[in-house]
This record gives sequence, C-alpha cells and structure tokens, in this order.
Amino acid sequence: MNAVKTIFRNPPLLTFVLVALVWLVASLTLRGFGAYGHLRYLLELAAVIGIAAAGQTLVILMGGIDLSVGAVITVTAILLPLISPAWDPTGLVGIASALAIATGIGFLNGAGAAYLRVPPIIMTLAMATFLQGLLVIVAGGSAVTVSNPAVILLGQSRPLGIPSGVLLWLAVSAVVLVLIHRMPIGARFLAIGANPLAARLSGVSLPRNTLILYALSGFFAGLAGILVLGMNRQGYVGIGDPYLLTSIAAVVLGGTSILGGRGTYAGTIPGAILLVTTTALITVVNASPGWRSIMFGTLILALLLISGREARR
Amino acid sequence: MTDQKPLLEARQVFKGFFGNPVLKGVDIALHPGRVHALLGENGAGKSTLINLLSGALQPDSGTIAVDGRPVGRFSPAAARAAGIAVVQQELSLTADLSIAENIGLGAFPRRFGLIDYAELHRGVRDVCGMVGLTEPLDMPVADLALGRRQMVEIAKALYRKPRVLILDEPTSSLSAHEAGILADVIETLRDRGTALLYISHRLNEVQALCSHVTVLKDGGVTADQSLSGIDGEGLVRLMVGRETGDLFPPRATANPGALRIGAEGFSAGLVRDIAFRGHAGEIVGIGGLVGQGQEDLLLGLYGAIPAKAAKAEVSGRPGLPADVGAANAAGLVYVPADRKHEGLVLPHSIASNLILPSLGRLARNGFRDRTAEGGLIADLARRLTIKGDVARPVQALSGGNQQKVALAKWLPLDPSVLLLNDPTRGVDIETKREIYLMLRGFAAEGRLVIIASSDTPELVHLCDRVVVLREGAVAAELSGEAISEEAIVGAAMGVDRKGAAA
Repeated sequence: MNAVKTIFRNPPLLTFVLVALVWLVASLTLRGFGAYGHLRYLLELAAVIGIAAAGQTLVILMGGIDLSVGAVITVTAILLPLISPAWDPTGLVGIASALAIATGIGFLNGAGAAYLRVPPIIMTLAMATFLQGLLVIVAGGSAVTVSNPAVILLGQSRPLGIPSGVLLWLAVSAVVLVLIHRMPIGARFLAIGANPLAARLSGVSLPRNTLILYALSGFFAGLAGILVLGMNRQGYVGIGDPYLLTSIAAVVLGGTSILGGRGTYAGTIPGAILLVTTTALITVVNASPGWRSIMFGTLILALLLISGREARR
Repeated sequence: MTDQKPLLEARQVFKGFFGNPVLKGVDIALHPGRVHALLGENGAGKSTLINLLSGALQPDSGTIAVDGRPVGRFSPAAARAAGIAVVQQELSLTADLSIAENIGLGAFPRRFGLIDYAELHRGVRDVCGMVGLTEPLDMPVADLALGRRQMVEIAKALYRKPRVLILDEPTSSLSAHEAGILADVIETLRDRGTALLYISHRLNEVQALCSHVTVLKDGGVTADQSLSGIDGEGLVRLMVGRETGDLFPPRATANPGALRIGAEGFSAGLVRDIAFRGHAGEIVGIGGLVGQGQEDLLLGLYGAIPAKAAKAEVSGRPGLPADVGAANAAGLVYVPADRKHEGLVLPHSIASNLILPSLGRLARNGFRDRTAEGGLIADLARRLTIKGDVARPVQALSGGNQQKVALAKWLPLDPSVLLLNDPTRGVDIETKREIYLMLRGFAAEGRLVIIASSDTPELVHLCDRVVVLREGAVAAELSGEAISEEAIVGAAMGVDRKGAAA
C-alpha cells in the first residue's frame, strides 16, 4: 500500500511503471512487440523525442515554452548537408556549424523573450514561422540527401548492438540531469519557474537565465535534428513537425508542471518512451491515418490524466 | 443633532483572519443626517469594518443592525437592498464600459428585457450633474483621468439613492476643485437625511465635514465622540498612544559610522527628487501613510526599479546599483513586504529558499556542494530557530516563520545594508520581538538597516532616525528625542505642528 502511494507521489517513477506495464502487456499479447529488435527500434525513436524534449524540459521548468523545436529540427536537418564542407572527411565541422546555428536561433528566442519582453509562446511561434518560410526559399520543395559521414555514423551504427542515437540520448540525459540537480543554474531555473519576482529580488538574473535556457533548447533541438537526419539520410521541409507536440507531451507526461517551477528530466525520459510506444501500438491496429491521429490525440489526453496530473494545491 | 434611531449599526463585532484578530469588539452607529468620521492608522481595522458594514464580510461574532433590527446573514445584496452604498478606495469601474453603463451597472432600468438607455441616461444625468461630471455619458471610463473616475464612482453610489453612504478615502485622487464639489454633495446628502461614514487621512477635511468621530486602534474603539472642540493635534493624539511593553530591545546610543548610502536628487517610482543618507550602525525608519513612495525608495536603492539620482554613493562606490545583482554585490539585500509573492518561492522547500542567494557562492567548479549547502542551511535554521524539517515546502510555515526564512536567506551574504519593507506585517508578537532583536544586533555589528514600516510604534522605538514620506517627498526627518508617534503621524498627514521645530 505504501509502495503504491510512493509511486503516485513520484511522477517520473509512475511514468516508468506505466511504460513497463504497457511493454509487458503488449509483449505478451502482440506477436513481435517484445522482440529485442522492436524494442530497440522504439528506444531509437524515443531518443529523438527525448533529446528534443531535453531543451523543452528546461524551458518549461523555467515557466516558458519553446514552440520552435520542430522548426529548429527541420532547419538543422536541411542545412547540415548543405553546409558540411567537402574538405572535412570526418563531417564534424558540419555538425558543429549546424549546432551553432541551432543554438543561435535559440539565443534569438531568448533575446526576444528577455529584452523585447515578447511572451515566449509568441516569440518562439513567430520564429518557427519565420524559419519555415526561410527553408522553403533555401531548399525549395526538394529533399536533401546527407553524405556527412559523422551524421550517417550517428544515425546508423550500433556499437555493442545499441544504436548510437540511444547512446547519445543517455549522454544528453546525464548532462541535463546534472544541470538541473547538481548545478546552481538548475536551482535558479526552478526558482524562476515557481516565482520569477521572488527569484529576481533574490538576485537571480532573469535575462541571463532566459538567454541560456533558450540557447540550450535550440542546441538540443539541433542535436535531435542531426540524429533524425542520420536515421533518415534525408532532410526535407516538415521533417521536424511531429516533434513539437511530442516534445511538450513527453515533458508533461513525466510529471513536470506546464506552469513551471516543478519537475525533472527524469520524468521526461519515460515520457518519451511512453509516447513512441503508444504510437507503435496505434500503428499495429489497422486503422486509417485519420483514425490513427484521432486515437493518438485521445491517448495523449488519457495518459496525461493518469500520469501527468498537476498536483492539487 | 437628531434623536432618531441609527440607520446602520455594528454592535460588538469581532473579526479575525487566519487567527489574527483584526476587530475586537467594535461598536459604531450611523445616524441619519450626520457625517461620521472613521479614523485610524494603517492596519487599525478600518477596511475590515467597512466590509462588515457593507455585507462583503461576515462578523465572527456580534451583529450588524439596520434600522435598529439585527440582520442575520448580511450580504452585499442585502446591503444594497437596505440602501447602503460604498465608494471604494480601489476603483471598481469597468474601463471599457461607458460612464452611464458603469453608473447603472447592476441596476439597469429595463424595457422588454433590454436595457432602457433613454431611462438610464435620464437617471445618470441627474447624478452626474450633482458631482459635476460634464463628459458625454457614452464616453468609455478608460478615457477619463483618475480623479474623474473617482467622481464616476461617487455618481454610481448616488444613482442608487442610498440611505447610508460610506466613502473610503474618496478624495485621495481628487483635485482641490473636485474635492470641493464632493464636499457640497456630502452636505446636500446630509441635509436630505442620508447617514454618511467618511474615511480619510486628510484631517482638515474631517474637521470641515464631519460632526462625529470614531477612532479605531488595533481593532478596538478608542474614541466615539463629537468632533466639536477637537483640533488636528487632538485627533492625532486620539489615534496614537499605547503602551509598548518590552516588545522593543533597548535602544543603543546612536553611533553612526561611515556613510553607506548617500543620494541627492533621488527619484524612483513615486519618489521625486529627495535626499537620503544612511550610515553604518544606524537603523533608519521610513514612515508615512500607505503608498507614499516608501517601497519605491527601497526598490530604487536596490536596483529593482529604474531610479536616478543627481549624486549618489552606495557602499563607497559612486552611482546607484544598476540591477539587483549589482546591489547584492555592493552588499545590499532586500526583504519585501509581500513575502508570499515577492520574498519566497512558496512551493519550494525551506532549504531551497534559504540557499537561493548563496547558490553561486557555494558552488565548486560549477557544481553544487551539497555538504556545504546542508551545513549552511542547518546553521541558518538553528540561528533563526526555524524548527522542523527543512525539506517541507515553505508555504507550510506560519507567517512569522516565513518572514524569518525571507530574512535568513540573506545572512550568508554578510550584507552591509539591509532594506526591509514592513518586515513585521502579519507577524506574531513573539517573532516580532525576535526580529527587532536581530535588527538591533545587525546595527550593533555596523550594518545599516533601512526599514519601511506602516507600524508607527515600530518606527518610534526601533529606529535611530525616521524619514517620513508624503506624496513622494520627505515630509519630515526626525531623530533622537524628536521621534514620537505624534510627530510621525502628524507629518504623514500633513498637520502643521505648533512649535515643533524638530
């Protein structure tokens, strides 16, 4: 009884338990679901969402939101093949430039929110719209194929049988968890998210932390974009679109308050896995794409009611 | 005077909030054809009493009586039905509606279920004429200046043809001309037999308009008498004067050290062009009525709102701190009045709140040092006698203990200047005593303590020097023996004191 109570008081743990249950039941009832290859594939898909949601988690913890995540993923996926220089055999220069661009976009978001006092929801949405227009001009309608060796390695290789994307996600998780729980800046983000005025009067600089946060969100979205590109080998307009809603849903499924000030990335991790698992289950059910979308939306709502509930105050 | 029955009475009403008694057995009786003044310092319970008389709040015990008959459950609707109207201090107008719509709101004349605008305008024109509102009736209230809006508010009360009219500081935003019109309106209503209750901090108005006074003090009635033969100083004396007991620590001999804060031509928010100084080892009080710029003075010095000064020196450096970070670096810290919204991150733990300003200082190589943090938190909790588990959310603490957390979190920074905004508001006596002792200790250690307070005894018995603000300017600067409740309240209200050259 006490164990159950503990689980319900701990949203990250609750989400983990939910994932485990879904996997167990699905493996027992659906042929092929529990195969190592399939589960590995699910984790690989979850890695993209998880990495994109890393930045989103930080931004939401501080009481903001980043609606440009999808657009930044698309920008990196399309620009990276175009800007990777042919003289660099490793492909690392291309990756570094793409990440710099993504971080720069996030920085602009932060500057708009911090100095122009544009509400983040408007600032990042405007940025997303702007970027989409820019991409149509740059890339036209056509897909861009990647030949950057580092990106392909990231998207395709499996050291020790584990996909590189999942390893990258593990590294990102470690960094983000340390940032939130072991560094002063994480405590400041949380304080700002819970009460910006009190935080400011306690000497926490709002502009500085806003800039850092949105830059980080841009960086992680860029990282997710590179991973998607490596997995797909092609970048096209719209490739990042699915990751906007899923990055936010993963954060909230993990029990982080959408209002800021409370939560952790430890919840976002199972949140991302839960999302891809649900999507996979819906795909198994032989339904038309329209019905799949409707079911997915309904399921997200239902899952939020179970696990991502705002604790009543 | 009339010998008629009072139209509206409160009999032995008690009211408390969260265990804090605000009114402790108050009687007041409003008679027809009389202008009754209600006086009292900030926090004496005036607003609570008005809310009881208008049905907005229910008394914990005691009765409200209308026409001599006690009313069981008094509600705003019942008060309206009984002909009681209130002109609130905070304007209750809807900015996007027109003057006529605002005045008629809730009492619209109808025809076939629709608002009868012709009838509405006819009634509204009458009351607007009374208060001198000449603007077109369909003009949105948003386009009016603050003083004109106040007149709309008064017209709104008159439109309901009240038998009892309660005016809560109606002249605070009025020009002299508008105040004159209001005085005429009040006299007209009085002669028609309306019972009026008039709350104002402007004692000359009270003397000119009112014939009877009730003085509230700490939730009790200290005077209920005719106003004839009482002058301004007499009124002030009625409002102050109480035994202070041993709440305050003995005052050390003032021994000011080096200049910590010096500003000339300082402006911030409401504060306009004042000079301010503070020395090490001093406790400087900032007094005045609510909202005369006390908070803006503190926030301006703290770099939290834009401020400018012709000449300024803070902690030995020229100029004012540009932002809160710079102020902290210069040794300034600030404890806000509204600790729930400005001072503390309520849902977070006591420990997180205590450690917030020290996060960067304690970190090693960019990482938090949990051992050092734990030690510091334990030390602070012990020094301020904050009992219990520091992992509890700070909102679980009582007001007094929350205030201790809001203060304690700054101690690790070893501040040289403490800016405190009403630090004992809503704090129990025992914690008050602790806080006073602590502040005296800070001064003895050579820190500068600047304390804005709405509690006059606190200013008198704790501070070495008191600056009284009035409408953003320094109304008086008192030190040593010249600090008295009479002097502070008198200066705050703009009463000329005969022969008081201090």
